[in-house]
Amino acid sequence: MNGNFGQKFSAWIVNVAIAMTALRTNLMRSILTTLGVMIGVFAVTLAVAVGSGAQVSVMQSINALGSNMALIFPQPDSEGGRSTFDRGRLTMRDANAIKKQISGITDIAPQLRTSIQLVVAGRNASTSAIGATPGYGKVANAAAASGRFISEADVRSAARVVVLGPSVAKKLFGDYDPVGETVRINRAPFNVIGVMESKGSSFGNDNDDIAIMPITTTRQRFTGDSLSGPDDLQMLFVGFEDGVSLPTAKREITKLLRERYRVRGKDINPFTIRTTEEFMKESAQVTGIFQIVLVAIASISLLVGGIGIMNIMLVSVTERTREIGLRMALGAKRSDIRNQFLVEAAVLCVIGGAIGLTLAIAAGTALTIYADFPVPIGIGVGIGAIVFSAVIGLLFGGYPAIRASRLSPIEALRSE
Amino acid sequence: MALVETRDLVKNYVLGGETVRAVDGVSLSIERGEYVAIMGASGSGKSTFMNMIGCLDVPTSGEVRIDGIATQDRDGDALAELRNQKIGFIFQQFNLLARTTALDNVAVPLIYAGLGSEDRRAKARAKLEEMGLGDRLDHSPAKLSGGQQQRVAIARALVTDPVILLADEPTGALDSKTSEDIMEIFETLNDQGITIIVVTHEAEIADHAKRRIEFRDGKVIEDMLVAHRRIVNA
Repeated sequence: MNGNFGQKFSAWIVNVAIAMTALRTNLMRSILTTLGVMIGVFAVTLAVAVGSGAQVSVMQSINALGSNMALIFPQPDSEGGRSTFDRGRLTMRDANAIKKQISGITDIAPQLRTSIQLVVAGRNASTSAIGATPGYGKVANAAAASGRFISEADVRSAARVVVLGPSVAKKLFGDYDPVGETVRINRAPFNVIGVMESKGSSFGNDNDDIAIMPITTTRQRFTGDSLSGPDDLQMLFVGFEDGVSLPTAKREITKLLRERYRVRGKDINPFTIRTTEEFMKESAQVTGIFQIVLVAIASISLLVGGIGIMNIMLVSVTERTREIGLRMALGAKRSDIRNQFLVEAAVLCVIGGAIGLTLAIAAGTALTIYADFPVPIGIGVGIGAIVFSAVIGLLFGGYPAIRASRLSPIEALRSE
Repeated sequence: MALVETRDLVKNYVLGGETVRAVDGVSLSIERGEYVAIMGASGSGKSTFMNMIGCLDVPTSGEVRIDGIATQDRDGDALAELRNQKIGFIFQQFNLLARTTALDNVAVPLIYAGLGSEDRRAKARAKLEEMGLGDRLDHSPAKLSGGQQQRVAIARALVTDPVILLADEPTGALDSKTSEDIMEIFETLNDQGITIIVVTHEAEIADHAKRRIEFRDGKVIEDMLVAHRRIVNA
C-alpha cells in the first residue's frame, strides 16, 4: 500500500515536471495566461481583505464608543402607532430612575451636546463639546491621559473646567501639556483640567476632536435656552456589566420609561433606545453586503482569467495531440493524460495565484500605511487564495483535459 | 499458442460518406520469436492491420489476441496497460519528445508502468547504453542524428521488456547506411528472442525478415517464409 502511494505520488511529481517543461516551452504564452489568474486572485483577495477591514473598522469605532451599553435619546420612536408626544422626552430624573431600578448597570452617562469655539493665545479651534458627568469616563471607555477627568464636585458647582481631546489640545497648544492652562470657550475662561486618551479615528472621523465639560456647565452656558425642561438630556449612555443581556435590559428600560411617561398600548414612545449589540449586528450586516458586492465584482476578473486558462489549455491540447497519441501508445491511460493537463492548468493557476496574492498583500499593506484603513490578509485568506487558484485551474482546465484524454490513440498519433 | 492471432479481422472507414474497407477479413497467426515483414502498397491496409494488432485502433469486427489475451473485451485503460507491458512501438518519424533528453524520452513508458524515478532512470540508462548511446543520455533529439534518434526510439520501445516490437516504416526517414545499422539491431534483437513485426514497402528491409506477408486491398495475398539472407549468404 505504501509502495502504491509512493508510485502515485511519483506519478504526480512526473506530471508537475511535464507541466513545468510544457509551460517553459511556451514561456510568453504561459506568462500572459497566468496574468489573467493573477489579476483575478489579486482582485478577489483584496476585495475580501477590504471587506473584512471595513468590518474591523466598524467594530473598532463601536468599541471606541464603549462596549455593552444602551444609548437612549429623546426622539420619538419611529416604529409603532399613534403619537401622543410632539417631541422626545428624556430627563435627568429618568436617568436616575434607570440607574436605581435596572440591575446590572455599571454607571450612566447623561449628556448634553453642543459645538463650541476655543481660543487661546491667538489660536482657536472649533469642536463639539460633551456635557457629561464622571460616569461618562466609565461608560464610554474614556480616561484622562494627563491631568484628570471631571469630578462630582465639578458637576455640582458647574465649574468652568474642560477636558480636551488630544486633537483639540494639539491644535491649541502643540506638544505642550495644557493641563492648568486657561482657554476661552465662547468668551468665558475655562480651566483645562485634563487631556483625554486617544481613541484614534474611524472612517475618517477623528474621535479625538472633542472637549468634555461638566453637564451642569453646558446647561448653564450653552444649551439651557434650547431645552424645554430644566433637567432635559440630549443623550444617555447606560453601561452594563459583562454578561448582562442587552435585549433584556432594553426591554426593562423601555417598560420603566413607558410607565414614567404613561405610554399606553400601541402608542409610540417619546424616546429611542439602541444598544451597541444592535449597532454591531447592523453594521456587520452592512459590511457583509459590502464585502459580498466587492467580491462579486472582483470574481468577474477571476472568471475571465479562468476562461483564459481554458482557452490556452485547449490550444495546448490541440498543439500536442501527437504527443498525447504517443503517450497513449507508450501506455498512458486516459487518467494519465487527463491528470497531465489538469496539473498543467493547476500549476499555471497556482503560480498566478501566488503572484496575485503577493501583490494583494503589498497593496493591502500600502492601504493600511497610507490610507489608515485596516486590510487584514491573514494566513487563512492566503491559503484560501492559493487553494482557490488550484480549484480554478482544475475547473477550467477540466474540459480541455478530459477532451485530451478522450482522443483515440491512433488518430492522435496520426495528427500533424 | 500464437503470440499474435487475428481472426476475420475487418476495419471499415467512412470517408466522404463512402465506407472503405481497409482491412478485409484477415486471419493470421504469428508465433513467438518470428520476424515478420508486412508489405504492400500504400492503401493496402498494412498499417491499419498493424495498428489493430498494436491495440492503437479498434477493429470493426473480428478478433485480435495478443499473448492469449482477447483485445476486443478490454477497455481503453486495459489496452493501454497491454501496450505498455507487451508491445514496443517504433515509428517512421521517431516520435521523440522535443526538448526532452534521450534519458527522459526512454523513461516515458516506465512512468506509465508505475516505476519510481530512480528505477526509471536506471533502466532507461541501461537500454540507451545497450543501444550504444551511453554518451548521449542528456542530449535532446535536436542534437542527435536521425540514426541516433531512431536508436533512442528503439531503447524506448524495449525499456519495458515487451514481447513484440512493432515497427512502422522504421527506416523511412533514414539514409541507406543508417537503415542497415537499424536492421542489424533488429536482427540482434530477434536473435535474443523478441518477436518483430515490421511494416514496410521497401523490399531490402523486408529481406531481413524471416517471413513476409503481403497485403493488397485489405487482404493478405501472400504469406511465405523466406530464407534468411544470412543463411543464404552462408
